[in-house]
This record gives sequence, C-alpha cells and structure tokens, in this order.
Amino acid sequence: MRILLVEDDDTLGSAVRDHIAATVHAVDWVKNLTDAANAARSVHYGLILLDLQLPDGVGIDFLKALRRNAKETPVIILTARDQISDRIEGLNSGADDYLVKPFDLGELSARLMAVARRYSGSPQPMLKIGDLEVDQTQRRLMVAGKDVILTGREWAVLDLLVARPGAMVSKDQVEEALYAFGSEIESNTVEVYVSRLRKKIGKDRIRTARGVGYSLGER
Amino acid sequence: MLQQPGRLSRISITRRLITTLTGMVVLFWLIAVGLAAYVMNHEFAEIFDGTLQETAERLMPLVLDDLAQRDPTSDPQALQAIQQGLNKEYLTYQVLDGSGKVIIHSQEAPTVPYDVPLKIGFHDTPKYRIYTESALNGTVFLHVADAFRNRREALREGTVALLWPLLLLIPASILLIQFIVGRSLAPIDRLRDEIGTKDSGNLAAVESDTLPRELRPIARSVNVLLGRLRAALEAEREFTANSAHELRTPIAGALAQTQRLIAELPEGPLTVRAGRIETALANLGRLAEKLLQLARAEAGIGTGDAPVDLVPIVDAVVGDYDRDSRTAGRVTRDYTPENHLARCVDIDAFAIVVRNLIENALIHGPSEGVVSIAIGSDFVSVVNGGKTVPPEDLAGLKRRFRRGETSAAGSGLGLAIADKIVVQMGGRLDLLSPASGEEQGFEARIVLAPQTTA
Repeated sequence: MRILLVEDDDTLGSAVRDHIAATVHAVDWVKNLTDAANAARSVHYGLILLDLQLPDGVGIDFLKALRRNAKETPVIILTARDQISDRIEGLNSGADDYLVKPFDLGELSARLMAVARRYSGSPQPMLKIGDLEVDQTQRRLMVAGKDVILTGREWAVLDLLVARPGAMVSKDQVEEALYAFGSEIESNTVEVYVSRLRKKIGKDRIRTARGVGYSLGER
Repeated sequence: MLQQPGRLSRISITRRLITTLTGMVVLFWLIAVGLAAYVMNHEFAEIFDGTLQETAERLMPLVLDDLAQRDPTSDPQALQAIQQGLNKEYLTYQVLDGSGKVIIHSQEAPTVPYDVPLKIGFHDTPKYRIYTESALNGTVFLHVADAFRNRREALREGTVALLWPLLLLIPASILLIQFIVGRSLAPIDRLRDEIGTKDSGNLAAVESDTLPRELRPIARSVNVLLGRLRAALEAEREFTANSAHELRTPIAGALAQTQRLIAELPEGPLTVRAGRIETALANLGRLAEKLLQLARAEAGIGTGDAPVDLVPIVDAVVGDYDRDSRTAGRVTRDYTPENHLARCVDIDAFAIVVRNLIENALIHGPSEGVVSIAIGSDFVSVVNGGKTVPPEDLAGLKRRFRRGETSAAGSGLGLAIADKIVVQMGGRLDLLSPASGEEQGFEARIVLAPQTTA
C-alpha cells in the first residue's frame, strides 16, 4: 500500500516514515498542506496519515477539501489535540481514525491496517482466499500452511490485489504502488513483480485481463 | 445564626436611612418648634403688655371714683367690688398716693409697694411685669402687675402642643421609609441575584435595559468585567491546549525514534537499554497528559453554557478504546443509543472524566478483564471486576498521587482530576467497592445534579 504521511515534525515524521517502510509499505512524506494537496492530486494513495497543525494551515481543511472532491482515500489523523470536540470534528470531517500523540508505532500499524481492511470490505485481520492466508498487520503470508517471505515491492502488489479480491487492479495502479519505492519504473517492471509474486503464491492465483489489469482469485 | 449577606446589607441600609431621615425630620421639627416658641414669646409679650396697659387705663377712673367716695382713713382693701371684677388669677394692682404709700391694693397684691418707680410706663421686677398709670397730677398712681409665671405657662402650653404631632410623625416616617426603601432596592436585589448566577460556566452579560438609570452603570461595569473574565478563561484554556501540542509532539518524536532504534538494533543489551528508555518516554507522555488535564481542571473547565446530551460523548470515548488494538473489546456498553442524559457541562471536560475512569478501571481491574459503562437518568457508572477495595482506602483514592494497593502503572492523578471536574459540574464522584449489585469489583459513579430548566 502506498501511504502519504503529512507531518511537519522531523523527529516524529522520519520515525513514522521508517516504520511504515519497514512494514513493507511505500510511503511519501510531506511537511505541509500545499505539498500534501499536490501529492494527493497526482497519486492514488491507499491511505493518508494527516497531522492537524501544519505550518501552512489546519489539516481538517485539507481533509474537507479531499472529501469535497469525492476522494475516498482513507485518512487517519495523527494529532496532539486530545480533546473530544477535536476528535468528533475530525471524524465528522471524514477521517477514518484518530490517533493522539504520543502513540505506539505498533498501534499505528494496527490502526493503519484496520482502516485499510475496512475499505477492502474485509474487516478480519487475517484474510483467507482459498489456502492463501494474508496477515497485513503482521506482514505475514502463508500458502497452504507454509510461510512465504515477500519483498516490499511484492507486498505492494499483493496489498493492491487483496484490497478487493476478484476486482480488477489496473497496470497504472500497480505502477504507482511500485513507484513509491524510489526505483526507476521501466516498461516491464509491473510484469516482473507480478511474475515474481505468481511464483511465490501460485501461478494461476493472479489472473491477467489484457489491456485491463490483474485480479486475485482462488486457485 | 448566619445571615445572608444580601439580607444583612438590606437591613443595614434600611436602618441607616430610617435613623438618618427620621432624625433629620425630628431635628427640623424641633428647630421649627423653637422658632415658633421664640415668635410666640415675642407676640405673647406684646399682647399681654397691651392688655396690661389697657387694664390700667380702664381701672384708673374706677379707682379715682372709689377714692372720691371712700373714707381716707379706711382699710386699704376696701375696693372689694373692683377686685372681684378683675381677674385675680392673673393681674394684681396697687394704688399709691404721691408719696408712694399703698392706699388700695388687690387681694393677692402685696401691701408693700412694688419695687418700681412711680412713673407712667412698663417696669419689670424679677416676678412681675408692671404697668404704672398716674392721675390727678401725679398724686395718685396705679400699678397693674402681671406675673411672668403666667406668660411662661402660656408659652409652655403652646410649645408642648406643637410637639404632639411628632408622636405620629416618627412612626409614620419609619414605615414610609421602609416602604420606599423596599421598593427602591428591588432592582438592586434583581441585579445582585443575576450577578450571583455567574460562574465559570455562565459568564453571559447581565440584562441592563430593564434596570433603573442609576444601576445601569453598575451593570455595564459588571459586563465589562465578565467580558475580561471570559477572555482570561479562554486564554487560559487556549494556553493549556497549546501546551499540550507543544509537549506531546516532541515526546511522540522521541518515543517513535526509540521504537525504531529498538526495531533496528540487533538483540542484545542495547535493545534492553533502549526498551527502558521507551518505557520511560511512554510514562512521561502519560504523566504530561495527566498534568495538562489537571491544569485544565484547575482552570475550571467543568460547566458549559447549554445542555448537551452526554451519551454520544461517552460513546465517542468508548469508541477510542474500541479502535485501540490494545483495549478493543474490553470496554462494553451497558446502555443503548436511546439513553439520554442532558446537562450543562463542557463536553471536553466530561470526556476527560470518562476517559480517566475507564483508564483507571482498565489499569486496576483484572488484566484482560472487561470494563462496563452504564448510563442512568442522572449518572454514568464505570465498573470493573477484581478484588474489593477496603472502605478505608476508598476515600483516599481521590487524592492526588494516591494509588490503591496495586502494582499497576497508574499516574495517581486520574481519579483526582475526575473528581475535581465532576464537582465543577455540580455533581459528585462516588467510589464503590464492591460494585453495586456485585460481590466484588470497583465502581466509579458520576452522579450529576438534576438539569435546571431556567
């Protein structure tokens, strides 16, 4: 999953960025609302982590604008404001969750995946598709009861596919998810990582619809 | 017995007005009586003198007539008929010959001549006012005397008659002043009652349009003061909110960096040390949060301007624990969304109370135990399981930095903060163990005062 982190504090922002990257998600970190708006316009993020008090404005305004533009990207507010009125305002403005600083990074991961699961329509932490078992919080994958280790880019592709099992994911969306890892995207990069994933979870699990994209299904 | 300050000041003002005004009325009346007595004295003297002179002039022909008919050697009191004709109570007379010898005198007149000269006109002795008349070329003199005692008596009776109305005037004045003061002070009572309703939750301006003109400046001054107080309280609340942000963010940064350090370090003594730093930072974060909450509680954040339904607030707080993976499923709702509990309280303050009680129950209840929240018509209760807290320990739990018999890592401030805010809301925090209807466990119950309809 590709995540946009909007946080102006360097110490906290760098730790959260490193933590998200370590849990095999792609992360873009911006420190103000202008950059956040530009990033959200150009990239389809799987989730946004949003601080409320930023140098160029209030995060709530960014969130409201996002929802006005019919963007359904899940948003988790990270804030030092602990009052219930702020929390209610944040959730009423379209946030999916609200985490008060200081927070535990493990808890951040759990909230992040819980929100992502809610959006995928599968609220269970352990996702089962046939003999494929995916624990996105723990970044654990089992195929026929055996652990399989994936790289960050492979997890990025799998996150997209398991978000809505059976639904089509376009090649552009896969490209976007891989782009966040910083490496050059060549014309066959998507095919390379889809192919690597197929080898690890089973060739016929990922179906290709030519000119449309990929979908995940049972073997 | 204690007396209400308002009643005391009313009595004091009324009494002072009665004493002063009645005293002034009496004083002016007495001055008026004094002036009247002075004028009466003067006028009475003129009237009495006129009467005295006229009596002497009229009496003289009778005396001469009597002298012509009487035997010169007879007794000096032979003029009995004339004596009876005169008012013997008030006037006396002597008839003297040219040598000053009394030849006739009235019954009550002395036989020795009055100590005045034989000369026509008025003369005074210590006891009498005397008019002397002369006839027959200075061979016969007539003294007609009027005792000063008679004049003083007339003056005294006239003056006393003027003092009688005071007996009616003094009680009438007291009653009238009481009535007028009572009516005049009624708007002050209203203003005082309205000012008396002001506290940290109600700092709305007092109504000044219906007040008498003299009281409007007071109402305006009170409103200016209330405005300043509102601004000061708002600034204090803003400061604690900003302090929260300034303090939480660096702690969050330090904690997150430490957790990354632990994740990236190879297993060994360094990870143990970093783990201790992580624990210390987490505790620091909790303590900072509690101290900020305490500062806000000290600022008097409890009450609100308008009634709000507290059930959604409780629900929002419980929702936080539902979303937290460490406490999900441990806080249960023993109420339905149909429950309503509306009070004039600050929702952020109320949320702080509920959060502290739930946190206290989670920390001090059995690990993995359930905390249940119930809402009644005037209470919110937070119940956890576990062993019973001895009665002697219960009362002390509300004191700051006081922990029960536990090894759990609480700040010792949660119940103190909750208690302080609940009292500001006009309610009370009851701590019960065992929990009501249970054989063990602990219950913290927020009991709120009934909603006033004013």
